Amino acid sequence: MDDLSLAKQLVDAVISDFPDHKAGTRPIHTIGVGVEGYFEASDIAKNYCIAEHFQGQRVPVQVRFSNGSGSPRQHDGWSDVRGMATRFHLKEGCTDLIAMTLAEFFVRTVEEFLDFTRSARQQPMAKVSWWQELIAKLQLKLPPRNPYPGETTSGDAGVTDYGNKHRFAQLSIVQAGTIGAPVSYARASYHAVHTFIITGPDGTRRPVRFAWKPVAGVRTTKPEDPLVDDYLKKELEVRLAEWPARFLLMMMIGEPGDALDDPTQPWPARRVRVVMGTLTLTDVAKDQEAASEKIGFNPWHLVPGIEASDDPILLARRDAYQESQRRRGATACPFHRS
Amino acid sequence: MTVFEQLAAWFAAKILVPYWAWRQPTKPLPGGPRYSVQPGDNVQRMMNLIMPLKDKSAIGRAMAAQAIAANKDEIYAGLDNVGTVHFARFVIVDDNICMFSVYDGDFTNYIRDFIATIGSVFDAVVGLVEGGDGVIPSEQNVEKFIDWVHAHDAYQVPDTVTDILRDQEAMNGDTSGINDLQALPRNIVLQLHANPNVSLGSGYRAYPGYSVAQVREKFGIGW
Repeated sequence: MDDLSLAKQLVDAVISDFPDHKAGTRPIHTIGVGVEGYFEASDIAKNYCIAEHFQGQRVPVQVRFSNGSGSPRQHDGWSDVRGMATRFHLKEGCTDLIAMTLAEFFVRTVEEFLDFTRSARQQPMAKVSWWQELIAKLQLKLPPRNPYPGETTSGDAGVTDYGNKHRFAQLSIVQAGTIGAPVSYARASYHAVHTFIITGPDGTRRPVRFAWKPVAGVRTTKPEDPLVDDYLKKELEVRLAEWPARFLLMMMIGEPGDALDDPTQPWPARRVRVVMGTLTLTDVAKDQEAASEKIGFNPWHLVPGIEASDDPILLARRDAYQESQRRRGATACPFHRS
Repeated sequence: MTVFEQLAAWFAAKILVPYWAWRQPTKPLPGGPRYSVQPGDNVQRMMNLIMPLKDKSAIGRAMAAQAIAANKDEIYAGLDNVGTVHFARFVIVDDNICMFSVYDGDFTNYIRDFIATIGSVFDAVVGLVEGGDGVIPSEQNVEKFIDWVHAHDAYQVPDTVTDILRDQEAMNGDTSGINDLQALPRNIVLQLHANPNVSLGSGYRAYPGYSVAQVREKFGIGW
């Protein structure tokens, strides 16, 4: 199978999990908001990486926050993975860093991904009866999840079944199932998940993983609070009108033996962490069509000093993102040469 | 807590958990850090010793406090000489004397160094602890003493929730590849039933990956 047909297959597989997918929109992370700001590298970032945005000058950025679902219906208050795609505008070209609130991915290979998406197809969902809850409690088990108001189908059952049979997927499935809803896009941690290889000024190459840590701290809504479907964009507008929102860019350095090409595997918290810089978000973009709907990110928009690892999922994302952007008429980085 | 909640808690503690502990036997998992050859895993390791006092009264606790206070010089001099300890402290929790420390390198060598440098202090403390008489004087029971300490080092629950399943599978030799994720809470409950004292995760580190020696060298305060 060539890269293009595989990319089409991947995009189709994702869309198949969201029967109400609307043509011309993203297959996942469909609902989002574009934000503007700038990034400033820390004093020591340039000691680790020669990439332009780590040299210390202020770099303009565009960020798109998003809900994970591929449905066009907005449910900010539902428990869901959130996305944070960041574009650094450099003198020559641009580079993207795509992150999400889940620290690990579900699968290790393209074949596993296709299998996983088949498992995640929507199935009818009913309210959990009191006796089902009682039986679960007596068995010291998690009761099935109750549907949200208006929710009649879900991929939960198939995903859990996949996790029962595939130990590598269990961590991300359990975390995704309990992830909740952030009170603000600016109050969540976002992980770039894959390993990248950075080059330092002395030529030293290091495997690293990036994560954004909110200066305002992590906070999710309380499950007992009333559900609100549309609040995250407004919250950002109010927040940024009062004060900028900031994130630290943390970089973890891998060691020999750490999983470099397996995004399902976390690295131990005992690895060296470096503060690479601070992202300051100042405004919700006025033109959301351009800043959120049409903008096309790609984890392979890289610049000298940062390379992709051999992670098969990272490789597959390159063409799948291009295919998805072609279908919806998106604008990729206009200056990027690859 | 309402009366109903109290009743439910009693039922869970006295009926449900013992029942499931019988239906699904769960072995205690060993304490201390996991084996690893990776450098970052072998610095800033945790020891969480929880040792039940023989005398479970304020007098017993005071005797433990006195044993530590009377040997402060020995402890500090010993720790300076061991040279691989980031932090160490004694804490009394209920009727337990606890020693919590963060150290670099191999656990066995860490305890061996302690026996060599402050064995007399260990003897004074361990003599107040249930089952401690059989391993003192530590200098004459080195291997036995190390095993005893390891047995009192709390199980370190993995940082990632599903890795507790991996620890249980390794303990039971389970290679089936099949789990019931809905039953994850039960696995956790039964493990905490088998290991009542645990460390939750490997802990936060402000400067992970660096040894005592590296930190002290960077500050220019040597050994």
